[in-house]
Amino acid sequence: MLAMTDSAQPPRVLICDDDAAIREGLVEVFERAGFTAYSAGDVAAMERQLAAKGADLIVLDLMMPGEDGLSACKRLSGKGRPPIIMLSALGDDADRIVGLEIGADDYLAKPCNPRELVARARAVLRRGRDADTSAAEAVRFAGFRLDIARRELHDPDGVVIPLSAGEFRLLRAFVERPQRVLSREQLLDYAFDNDSDVFDRAVDVQVSRLRKKLERRGSPEIIRTVRGEGYLFAVKPTA
Amino acid sequence: MNTRPGLPIAAYLGVLVALALAAAFVATLAIVIFLPPRPPDVLRADKVAEHFQEGYDHMTALGRTMNERGVVWEVRQQPPEEEESHELRMTQVELARTLDLESDQVIASAAHIKMDDSFVFRVADVEGLAAGVISAEEAARIAEEVQRAYEEAADRAEEARERAHEAAEARREAEMAAAEERLAETQHRLHAQREHLEALNEARIEAAAARQAAIAEARAAATAARQARAAERLAARIERRVRVENGQVIITEHPNPDVDVDVDVDFDPDEIEIPEIPDFEFEMAEAPAAPAAPAPPARVAPTTPVAPVPAPRVGRAAPAAPTPPAAPPAAPMYAPAPAGVLLISGFEFGAQLPDGRWLVMRQGRNWAEIGWILRAAGIIGGTLLVLSVLALLFARRLTRPIRSFADAVQAVGVNPQSEPVREEGPEELRGAARAVNTMQARLRALIADRTKTLAAVAHDMRTPLMRLRLTAEHAPPEQREKMAREIAEVEALVASFIAFARDDPAEEARVRLDLTALLQSIADDNHEAGRNVSYEGEERFVITGQSLGLKRLFTNLVENALKYGAAAHISSRREDGVVVVDVADDGPGIPPDQREKVFEPFVRLNEEGTRGAGLGLAAARSIARAHGGDIVILDGESGALLRVTLPG
Repeated sequence: MLAMTDSAQPPRVLICDDDAAIREGLVEVFERAGFTAYSAGDVAAMERQLAAKGADLIVLDLMMPGEDGLSACKRLSGKGRPPIIMLSALGDDADRIVGLEIGADDYLAKPCNPRELVARARAVLRRGRDADTSAAEAVRFAGFRLDIARRELHDPDGVVIPLSAGEFRLLRAFVERPQRVLSREQLLDYAFDNDSDVFDRAVDVQVSRLRKKLERRGSPEIIRTVRGEGYLFAVKPTA
Repeated sequence: MNTRPGLPIAAYLGVLVALALAAAFVATLAIVIFLPPRPPDVLRADKVAEHFQEGYDHMTALGRTMNERGVVWEVRQQPPEEEESHELRMTQVELARTLDLESDQVIASAAHIKMDDSFVFRVADVEGLAAGVISAEEAARIAEEVQRAYEEAADRAEEARERAHEAAEARREAEMAAAEERLAETQHRLHAQREHLEALNEARIEAAAARQAAIAEARAAATAARQARAAERLAARIERRVRVENGQVIITEHPNPDVDVDVDVDFDPDEIEIPEIPDFEFEMAEAPAAPAAPAPPARVAPTTPVAPVPAPRVGRAAPAAPTPPAAPPAAPMYAPAPAGVLLISGFEFGAQLPDGRWLVMRQGRNWAEIGWILRAAGIIGGTLLVLSVLALLFARRLTRPIRSFADAVQAVGVNPQSEPVREEGPEELRGAARAVNTMQARLRALIADRTKTLAAVAHDMRTPLMRLRLTAEHAPPEQREKMAREIAEVEALVASFIAFARDDPAEEARVRLDLTALLQSIADDNHEAGRNVSYEGEERFVITGQSLGLKRLFTNLVENALKYGAAAHISSRREDGVVVVDVADDGPGIPPDQREKVFEPFVRLNEEGTRGAGLGLAAARSIARAHGGDIVILDGESGALLRVTLPG
């Protein structure tokens, strides 16, 4: 497990779920992972906690009595809120897309691997710290459009080019850090689950696949190889 | 909601029919107003003789058969078919008289005979018609005058005939006397001495001269009579154009035995005399050096017809040699005709020529009438065209709400969340729209209920699973992994139930997407997860479809393949405008009798040892069919081969 090395204080995570057992279990999981975790049973309590203690990240259940997670997420959006990970009993692609489109930074279906949740939480935090763009619904570059919520790439003709999960994460890592040389280790860190045993070579494979999907139309090179260092996303994306 | 009152469809149809009837009425009215009365190409019966003669002159000048504005002059061997026509009797007689023929040498027939003003059609020079209008009194006076003139002419003719008779008698007597004298003399001379032949010749020449003198006298008398008659007719005609004949006809029509008798009497003497005269005159005119044949007083039949056709007109006073007329005969003497004048069309007149052939003037096709019919057809066609456009606009107006209704219902069928159907158009349609909207509202409520139920089910089932998963974190790693696997399996089952229950292939929007990239990404995702899934296909297939739906379709197929085998291979190609995607596994394959059954929900091929609810293939097929494609199961190289066809 990676500790948050560059931060004096551990990140604060606020868990909001109506089920007490899940709340307790998640608090335990996060604290074990080095977070400061506290919880709330509904949206109102969550907002009180947020006002009182603040938070670096919210894990929000979707279906709760009273105000549900979606509307809370929608309401919180746009006023400097901490990133939100949706944790929902609705696990369909369609539900995930709705959640992401409404402004959630990530979306996980119950039941999930608690360690995956922690990994995603870290990824979201990292992204909030590093990324030039965050929580954008779509990013445009070189005529392409990357729909973050739908995890879809639209080519300049408007044709949807489906991406594998790995390709999407990699591309997202690139567009969030454009015109910067990214080492294979960094890309592994940003784009792959920490606990998955992938190697540097896997990054090269993913990059070459992604290049194939991006560059089949004879457009200029979007992902450039920097010999001995890594890769560079050569174009500037716009929201 | 649109509250404009609607009319029942029957009302629209009624208006349509009314429109059609109105158009028919307008067309009829337009024909009546704008088209002159239907114009038979008529000829005034009283002008027949004149026209016949003019046409014939022209024809002889041209030297060939003539066809002038539908009227044909020709010479044939056979007489035209005689058709007994009481009305034309007068015309026939008139023609015969003009041509100096016997009445049985003239044949007249006509398809249409009328003495009705309605038969008269307008011609270009309507001014003439206006000028010719006279009062009834004046007409009566003119008729009387004409009658008187006619009687006078008849009297004069009678006198002339008598004189001619006398002259003929005298001539005959003189001839006889001369002949007897000559005979006696000849006998005498023969008996006495035969050398006085020349004297005989002299005597013969003398006799001939005497006869000619007699003939000339007789001819002068006859010509005078005819001249008088013709001059009378001509004068009357010129003066009052049509009224003179009018008088004649009226007399015929109003039974007047005197005139009939008069007419008969008028003509009989002609029959006797005239044929003789023309022969001589003709011979003298054309071949004056042939007196050697003192023809017997046989009728007609000159020894050789000199002109192409011996003219029947030679009996006329001025038998001028046919000089080429400057212009063809005027058009048939069409109307305006005064009341009482016979008008004929489709006629045929024949006059026997001296050589026995027949000169025929007949009217062929009635072009004027055809032109009229064409114009009438034009008016009707134009009206119908206007009506068609109107009816089309009207029908569009009627059907537009029906079409938009159909579209709206279609949209509701595809997506119950779509706009309610607009209640507009005919009354019946509004009722239907109301019914559809009610149905849609119920449908929406049902869907909302279903969504709520599904969400509740998902929540109630997954919350305990999540709890369980968190509890498993406390377990030792080995047990934890096992529990996690079991939990994931239950989760997958729940997910497949919920996915199937909420499955609505029509809900997702259709986009253009790269199928190759989709299949590749599925293979990559599975490969990343450590499963043996490969993809092979052409560079790029762009199809139109639902991105999530298609992803689920192929994911389901791959999962199904991995359930029964260890590896799945996806391949794609284009065949005849159809995209074919094969998903092959290395499992045991599916027996042919099971291949349809596995697509039914909750059907699993092998109860033991397989996981899942048996919904994957059912969902996959419903997605494929919603895209206009299908899934079939075939024999693969080593296992089953599921073939998806999608429209390219």
